[in-house]
Amino acid sequence: MRRSVFLILAGLGPCLAAGTILAQDAPRLRGPQPFTRETPAPPMQRQVTDDVRVRRNYPDQPPVIPHSIEGYAMDLNANKCMSCHARKFTDQSQAPMISVTHYQDREGNTLGGLAPRRYVCVSCHVPQTTAKPLVDNVFTDMDALAEPERQPERGRH
Amino acid sequence: MAAGISRAWGWFRGNPWVRTALSPPGYLSLAFLTLGGFVAGVIFWGGFNTALEVTNTEKFCTGCHEMQANVFEELKGTVHFTNRSGVRATCPDCHVPHNWTNKIARKMQASKEVWGHIFGSIDTRDKFLAMRKHLAEREWERMKANDSLECRNCHSSESMDLTKQNPRAASAHERFLFSGERTCIDCHKGIAHKLPDMSGVPGWQ
Amino acid sequence: MDLTRRTLLKTQAAAAAAAAANVTLPASAQNILTGEDLQLQWSKAPCRFCGTGCGVMVAVKDGKVVATHGDMQAEVNRGLNCVKGYFLSKIMYGSDRLTQPLMRMKNGQFAKDGEFQPVSWDQAFDEMAKHWKRVLKEKGPEAVGMFGSGQWTIWEGYVASKLMRAGFRTNNLDPNARHCMASAAVTFIRTFGMDEPMGCYDDFEHADAFVLWGSNMAEMHPILWTRVTDRRLSHPHVRIMTLSTYEHRTTDLSDMALIFKPNSDLAIMNYIANYIIQTGAVNREFVEKHCNFRLANTDIGYGLRPDNVLEQRAQHANDAQVSNASSFEDYAKLMSQYTVEKASELSGVPKERLEALAKLYADPKTKVMSLWTMGFNQHVRGVWANHMVYNLHLLTGKISEPGNSPFSLTGQPSACGTAREVGTFSHRLPADMQVNNPEHRKHAEEIWKLPHGLLPEKVGYHAVQQDRMLKDGKLNAYWIMCNNNLQTAPNTNNETYPGYRNPANFVVVSDAYPTVTAMAADLILPAAMWVEKEGAYGNAERRTHFWHQLVNAPGDARSDLWQLMEFSKRFTTDEVWPAQILDAHPEYKGKTLFDVLYANGEVNKFPLSEIDPAYENREAKAFGFYVQKGLFEEYASFGRGHGHDLAPFDTYHQVRGLRWPVVNGQETRWRYREGYDPYVEKGSGVQFYGNPDKKANIMGAPYEPPAESPDAEYDLWLVTGRVLEHWHSGSMTMRVPELYKAFSGAVLFMHPDDAAKRHLRRGQEVRIVSRRGEIRSRVETRGRNKVPPGLVFVPFFDASQLINKVTLDATDPISKQTDFKKCAVKVVAAATADAGDVQ
Repeated sequence: MRRSVFLILAGLGPCLAAGTILAQDAPRLRGPQPFTRETPAPPMQRQVTDDVRVRRNYPDQPPVIPHSIEGYAMDLNANKCMSCHARKFTDQSQAPMISVTHYQDREGNTLGGLAPRRYVCVSCHVPQTTAKPLVDNVFTDMDALAEPERQPERGRH
Repeated sequence: MAAGISRAWGWFRGNPWVRTALSPPGYLSLAFLTLGGFVAGVIFWGGFNTALEVTNTEKFCTGCHEMQANVFEELKGTVHFTNRSGVRATCPDCHVPHNWTNKIARKMQASKEVWGHIFGSIDTRDKFLAMRKHLAEREWERMKANDSLECRNCHSSESMDLTKQNPRAASAHERFLFSGERTCIDCHKGIAHKLPDMSGVPGWQ
Repeated sequence: MDLTRRTLLKTQAAAAAAAAANVTLPASAQNILTGEDLQLQWSKAPCRFCGTGCGVMVAVKDGKVVATHGDMQAEVNRGLNCVKGYFLSKIMYGSDRLTQPLMRMKNGQFAKDGEFQPVSWDQAFDEMAKHWKRVLKEKGPEAVGMFGSGQWTIWEGYVASKLMRAGFRTNNLDPNARHCMASAAVTFIRTFGMDEPMGCYDDFEHADAFVLWGSNMAEMHPILWTRVTDRRLSHPHVRIMTLSTYEHRTTDLSDMALIFKPNSDLAIMNYIANYIIQTGAVNREFVEKHCNFRLANTDIGYGLRPDNVLEQRAQHANDAQVSNASSFEDYAKLMSQYTVEKASELSGVPKERLEALAKLYADPKTKVMSLWTMGFNQHVRGVWANHMVYNLHLLTGKISEPGNSPFSLTGQPSACGTAREVGTFSHRLPADMQVNNPEHRKHAEEIWKLPHGLLPEKVGYHAVQQDRMLKDGKLNAYWIMCNNNLQTAPNTNNETYPGYRNPANFVVVSDAYPTVTAMAADLILPAAMWVEKEGAYGNAERRTHFWHQLVNAPGDARSDLWQLMEFSKRFTTDEVWPAQILDAHPEYKGKTLFDVLYANGEVNKFPLSEIDPAYENREAKAFGFYVQKGLFEEYASFGRGHGHDLAPFDTYHQVRGLRWPVVNGQETRWRYREGYDPYVEKGSGVQFYGNPDKKANIMGAPYEPPAESPDAEYDLWLVTGRVLEHWHSGSMTMRVPELYKAFSGAVLFMHPDDAAKRHLRRGQEVRIVSRRGEIRSRVETRGRNKVPPGLVFVPFFDASQLINKVTLDATDPISKQTDFKKCAVKVVAAATADAGDVQ
């Protein structure tokens, strides 16, 4: 017992100090310093529900969902997403139609509706919370590389 | 089935109140009977209303296994059970009309649910799931017919502030609800319980 | 259509020609870009995340990955990726990437209690080598160890295995795959004599019924789930039955959910076996020709420390792996006690549902695919659970043919390819060989061109044992690569962290990001990741899949391959090998480990000129030969002709992976069945040729209770696991803003009744307390996971909510894999008095 207390104390000092070289990092990604310290749970985040489309990082990225989907059915009985995003409902819902790629089956045949393999929308499309990212991501937008002079700020690091 | 009927009948005949009620009066005066009848009427009325109130609580509704394990269990994960301000809907808020005549009519329909309970028509999850579409359709029809009255008891369309709704909801309400083109249940199916197989239901595939 | 590299080169050539011919290209005056500005270099790679092994196309421009999408030509996923796969482009670009070695220092010297300071690779390796040599000298090879990864590339695992076993002469090498699918791997060998599934993903398109045993595929294997849902929704007769301890997205899309009490899956499987026997559904001919019966030792303990009362009380804690030859009659007798009533009582699943499930297995016309992941493998009886599902398939002969398939899904991208096939477990060598088999060691020494008697025979420390030995001061020089074990090991406060900070130990962590584990190390080495190096992974269906280096790692970050090989240069044979071996083989004297292990005439056989000139290859340039090719070809020689045949190296750079054994250029989709598997002799129909008698073992075992169950004080089951958006400990996905914002922190999934009983509300902060430790989290009574009363679920991806401080370090006593799926906890409101502790 005494030994393990000593070990924990031995670990404590350097771990606290370790933050200095990695100062810009988010503590939530590195765990408590020292490890054994108990930390409060971060608050649960609110959903983004503003319905404002978010630019994609690249053309093939599935767009994120700008509204809440809490309680939406996605089971053998019903797919709530399709009651707005299916082609036939987009006039009344004014929601974006599912992409044309979603009509293709595994063999590449184009079907008359949503391909069954695409049934689970939330495998690729996810809603967002208002959480602020814990650390910057310096991914480069291809537009910034193609035409840097027209991309004054974002995506260039 | 037969066993159920004989069980119910046995309970009915064996009840002392029932036995007394069925015996004719012997030597009481008309005045006593009239006055007594009035008093009895008041007592009965009070009792009836009390009974009505008792049966109109969530505790009563979820007193049987069928409601407890299926629809009530599903309600617990929804916004009508927990939400920001803690104002919540109980079973009768949505499923029993608030005005008296409709309430009595609904209560009489509910005898069918008691029947179902006695005869075990949905006493397992699998039996319930098999009946779910039928049960849901009955509620949808009722709510469609009364213009989603129970929804409107809390959610008055006149009292909606569109600036407090997200843009998608606001525009849908403006186009379909305020115009009278649709009623609440047309779009808001399955918000408190899971949905049945939705094939053939308008607005779904 | 994808623009391939070759067509791109052509386009670029055309553009160059046009320029030379003085053809005016449109100026970019308009707001639409044209010409070369639009060109991206597309290359193939497997996904970095789970064991599914999806193909992705990766676009590079100006040395940066700028886009990714599902590879249309990849058989596994045909153009689809899950949300993590679609965001692969961003995993390398978290701004806190490690770009230089960091060492704990004081006054310019290493100090265990010092602060992290940047150092050069030379300084880092010098210090590291000093400790390794000290420990080897003072305590011998058993005090040196390494914890590797099912995310290592095939050659990284291979290089590590050689360095540890042949270089430092220790088998203290184990991968994090021990936490992931050791139970599956061990049972494959115990049942079939060979590791890995007989079937493949093509089974998805042939099965009539899918039975999921402890697998939430909708979240954990979403792309394979698209194949299941495709089959289910396109063919109405198909059924999905899901067994789990709580409801989740997979049960949402299942025809039937069987929610059972933890550990009672054993009783359910035995009931199904009993049903098959009682109803005469046993395929007698198949069983007589192709199966043996065995009965397992019972009462085998829980893999806890030997002084634990549960171990001392267990009758067979020390010979848990032993089983005895038996007969169909004895097996049937053991099964006969598992009536539907008993199974229903133990599991809590209604009898009708159990019967419906049993009928699927018993019906000879229904092709059944059984699928499982961590629910089975992270199980104190994980090996038995794996056995029991094979029993069902073997009794009915529903195996090794399209659609009839017991299929173990894997969690990591190269759990099969690297951890298992290469042999990075503490008991294994390449191609399913075992370290304690003298013939196997001799064979390895021959292929490795090393002196006889060099390889150690003693099985090394497995994952959980490594942590215990670090804490106890018996393992002192320790290298952790490509995993975040301080976040993912069980009971970390008591059994993992103390070992890292034990002053007797020197702990090195190689990673791309400053993880929880890295922060507790003495030396952090910055690693290259994914397409920053040439690599190869092996997925769950035996598919080996290659990729090229597409971009450079930032700063001084280097691949694990380079780190391992470069470090080997700092040791000479005289320092690490026994004198009698060197005296008997003087030609090895005075050479570095690099010379004898990697510059051995095989690994360095292929010159730089064989590298595709379109791609960078930092490791090859650093060492002066085509490292990856040499390592792969030497490694492949273990399996060729032994049922593990791999295609030539260059082939893999052309194709979207191939499923071994690859014989005469043809991959094998179904093993052990004539007509599909070239190793099965003509006329035999089926041969389980991994075993000498070519028969599979049906293993009888009973239901036994878990190590810890809820009681009056710790009244809830705790289950831990993953979520769709985050992969494992979140070190990559938590740095992708879209993924972080999709699931921003761990929560405690709890039944609303359990919350109400404790006066807890959704979102309220709570303490999750076990006998080991506690953490704080927040209550979630809604959402994707619907737990039954009495059980809670907490995902482990969040470094600020380290649920493994709470879990129990009980393992399957046979596979040594931890059970992360069941221990007892209590949940109480976080006391307001502690509010001052908020950072």
